[in-house]
Amino acid sequence: MSLRLLPENIVNQIAAGEVVERPASVVKELVENAIDAGARRIDVIMTGGGRSLIAVTDDGRGMTGDELKLCVERHATSKLDDDDLLNIKHLGFRGEALPSIASVSRLTIGSRKSDADGMLADDAWELAVTAGQKSNLRPASLPAGTRIEVRDLFFATPARLKFLKAERTEFGHAIDAVRRLAMAHPDIGFSVTDGERTRLRVREGSADLFEARRARLIDIIGRDFGENSIAIDAGRDGYKLTGYAGLPTFSRGNAQYQYMFVNGRPVRDRVLQGAIRGAYSDLLAGNRHPIVALFLDLDPLSVDVNVHPAKAEVRFEDSGRVRGLIVSAIKHAFAEAGLRTATTASQAALGSARPGGYAGQGQLSQMSRNRPVYSQHAGGYGTPGMRETTLQSYAPLAQGNTEGYAAEPRARMNENPGEIEDAAAINYPLGAARGQLHETYVISQTADGIVIVDQHAAHERLVYERVKQALLENGVARQILLLPEVVELDPGHADRLVERVDQLAELGLVLEAFGDGAVVVREVPALLGETNVIGLVRDLADELAELDQSLGLRERLEEVCSTMACHGSVRAGRALTGDEMNALLREMEATPNAGQCSHGRPTFVELKLHDIEKLFGRR
Amino acid sequence: MELTIERGSLLKSLGHVQSVVERRNTIPILSNVLIEAADGSVSFTATDLDLAIVDTVDADVKQSGATTVPAHTLHDIVRKLPDGAQVAISLDADGAKVKLSAGRSKFTLACLPRDDFPVMSEGDMPFRFDLGAADLKRLIDKTRFAISTEETRYYLNGIYLHAAETDGVQMLRAVATDGHRLARVELPLPEGAAGIPGVIVPRKTVSELRKLIDENDEVITIALSDTKIRFSFRNAIVTSKLIDGTFPDYDRVIPSGNDKSLEVDTKLFADAVDRVSTISTDKSRAVKMELDTDRLTLSATSPENGTATEEISASYGSGELTIGFNSRYMLDIADEIEGDVARFQFADAAAPTLVLDSADEGALYVLMPMRV
Ligand SMILES: Nc1ncnc2c1ncn2[C@@H]1O[C@H](COP(=O)(O)OP(=O)(O)OP(=O)(O)O)[C@@H](O)[C@H]1O
Ligand SMILES: [Mg+2]
Repeated sequence: MSLRLLPENIVNQIAAGEVVERPASVVKELVENAIDAGARRIDVIMTGGGRSLIAVTDDGRGMTGDELKLCVERHATSKLDDDDLLNIKHLGFRGEALPSIASVSRLTIGSRKSDADGMLADDAWELAVTAGQKSNLRPASLPAGTRIEVRDLFFATPARLKFLKAERTEFGHAIDAVRRLAMAHPDIGFSVTDGERTRLRVREGSADLFEARRARLIDIIGRDFGENSIAIDAGRDGYKLTGYAGLPTFSRGNAQYQYMFVNGRPVRDRVLQGAIRGAYSDLLAGNRHPIVALFLDLDPLSVDVNVHPAKAEVRFEDSGRVRGLIVSAIKHAFAEAGLRTATTASQAALGSARPGGYAGQGQLSQMSRNRPVYSQHAGGYGTPGMRETTLQSYAPLAQGNTEGYAAEPRARMNENPGEIEDAAAINYPLGAARGQLHETYVISQTADGIVIVDQHAAHERLVYERVKQALLENGVARQILLLPEVVELDPGHADRLVERVDQLAELGLVLEAFGDGAVVVREVPALLGETNVIGLVRDLADELAELDQSLGLRERLEEVCSTMACHGSVRAGRALTGDEMNALLREMEATPNAGQCSHGRPTFVELKLHDIEKLFGRR
Repeated sequence: MELTIERGSLLKSLGHVQSVVERRNTIPILSNVLIEAADGSVSFTATDLDLAIVDTVDADVKQSGATTVPAHTLHDIVRKLPDGAQVAISLDADGAKVKLSAGRSKFTLACLPRDDFPVMSEGDMPFRFDLGAADLKRLIDKTRFAISTEETRYYLNGIYLHAAETDGVQMLRAVATDGHRLARVELPLPEGAAGIPGVIVPRKTVSELRKLIDENDEVITIALSDTKIRFSFRNAIVTSKLIDGTFPDYDRVIPSGNDKSLEVDTKLFADAVDRVSTISTDKSRAVKMELDTDRLTLSATSPENGTATEEISASYGSGELTIGFNSRYMLDIADEIEGDVARFQFADAAAPTLVLDSADEGALYVLMPMRV
């Protein structure tokens, strides 16, 4: 066989192999093009899981007949100003998507152009491309914007067709892609239809960007997320992080619900995922994952988006800084927010609360099932610190109403209720302790509700924070090794560790270079006991390579602290006196992250009076 | 197979073997104990494929034969039978069930054929020597606390038994270390042990052996090859695979020039360490030793709890020294020191420290300090 340049159609099919992996990739590319075209509304139709038809219609600026002919050519793009690949401001920049799609399907594009002043052209045009073969341009009759239809995807590359999953699965991936784009563009309305039913519809948002985004996230992730997340707004040196981070008590068993965007582009990036894990490291058990929607904006020159065929990954110029920003922003926001725990927990409690006794029972429980009640106060966006919220919503009337609840005859009572400045204590966020039930739960009365505290979980958190504090203040005791361990590593990895000997020593790990590509470990953190030194060092080295930072060692130390805390704290089943209970509540208020134990379970739930009233049909 | 045996001796015998059987097994036969009856005695065998124990006990055997039954179930049944009961065990004609009866209690146990029971091939064991029970006990007790539990360093998960020379005398040595401390105990090399290979006896084997020794004041015959070791007691035989790994060259971590020497009353010292360490809350329970002329001050600090100090008189004259240790490590060693006086030899606060027993010259411990 002789050496030759491949025909263009084959080149496009090869590119398609990378760019167009499955129907969801087509949907993503087409919707991105519509967004780039300034559309206000984008409608997607998919039938047969995208195999038979994918149609995307937008009301963007459209294309002229000439542009139409050009857009399916390889490397034709209108989006790279100044031919500068470093300065990317659109979602597209390669001019690769349309020719790739066209080379493996039957593509039809119809478009009607509006010029820069919004003047609509008189004529509209249509072009068909079958497996890369262009037809002639035909006049068409169309409203403003562009409509692209992709039929029989992969018919030209049967091998790819074989790898497609069930229709439902492919549809799911596609809708997920649209969802992510919709989160990043609240000003645009989106719909996805499967030919019969509308599966996603979000209306274009209001003008106010901040509110619009919040509303869009609630539309897409769910109202629960709105109530159980805190606003993140942090920035430094041209890096800006905004969005919402879910409460640890509102976590999931997998990391699927972590939506991350870099300059408006949805990404799944390991640096970002690692940073989120780091930020929640001592708030969640290892197998739980937070729900977050985070938007990172930075100078396009500081991030390379051209590293992945589907643009799903990016490379940061300074990933350490990105990680630092995310970890500190989230940790800080939670510390600020203080006592918050998922309202879903109290909703679940309310849901299972059944009015006791006689008539009307059926009707009432019916009601509490049909009308889920949402706490109004707990979920306020951008209101860090619960004390404020509570005080604001404090009303004398509510206090009057609660008096009747104070005397619960079977509860363990404060021995000396008189000693407690009731009026004052009640104004604390966690209120005044009223009693202990089942020697496990502390019940307290707040200005506008009641709080139930799990005494073991709460105390565990307090002890943990104390142990951790002590660790940070006093330094880590180090066990010197009788048999120093030599750990073989890649040369680069070894160097990276050696560069950080001081930082590692602070955390109790003393090592030094040992020839090429190895380190010798001489001292280890005594807290870890007899530990797998080689494993520890390898993990740290990997982490350094990936993130430029080592959180792993600190995380492991924190894990030990958390086990110690678990053993060192008040167990369920111990009777507490009134003073002990109040002391516990006050300490919880003063301790960061006291809303959940280190495994992510809530330490307390709050029932607002107003919700309780609903239970009794008073509202 | 048909036999009768007194409940007490049956229980004791099963007790020797049943702990070898793992609680969870993917191979069903490994949950079973092999019962073999012949000529006035019955023997019980259990194995986890790495270790096998056979225990033999007198019984009234009416008909010889063999089978296997679930080990833990059998042990639990016998444990709950009344003291002094006569237990009758018989295998039914088609070999599918074992009947066990004692007084009015009757049990039927499902059994698996004896031919399926794995037999540990012993191979050739070229070395053979005798050791008194007390000697074997000493070798085990004074080293086993230092065995590593960290599985990645599997070659430290046992006691290293080998021949070595001390001051021109041939010795049998047992050594264990977890990388933080080390214990070495030796005795004159028994006849027949010359030239034995160095072998690492796994932790589980060590603890099973230790149970058998408690009850046997006798001579134990040890036979070994490169890959297996066998301990023959009067009524029991323990056969074990050896850990396939290289024990580190431990000699180089035993300091020889430590010139600062401290002597303290072992019991006073252990009690004081125990008391002082009470204050510390973390797992390592660091205790600091401050040495001055004829004085030892032990102290511990906990950011949460406060501090503790205790001064004990000691014989010391090598200048001031402050050095920290994991208190649990110190207590483990103090527990094994028989003499009234424990002898410490220090170099400095970051170097290995030697601990010696005034009553047992053949025992030596190395302890790595902690930085506190
Ligand atoms: N819906 C649309 N409305 C208006 N113009 C469009 C539309 N879709 C595509 N175009 C034009 O066609 C060009 C080619 O699109 P294509 O998706 O192939 O490349 P791109 O978006 O520039 O880069 P990338 O390959 O990175 O997506 C675009 O640059 C744009 O000018
Ligand atoms: Mg594009």
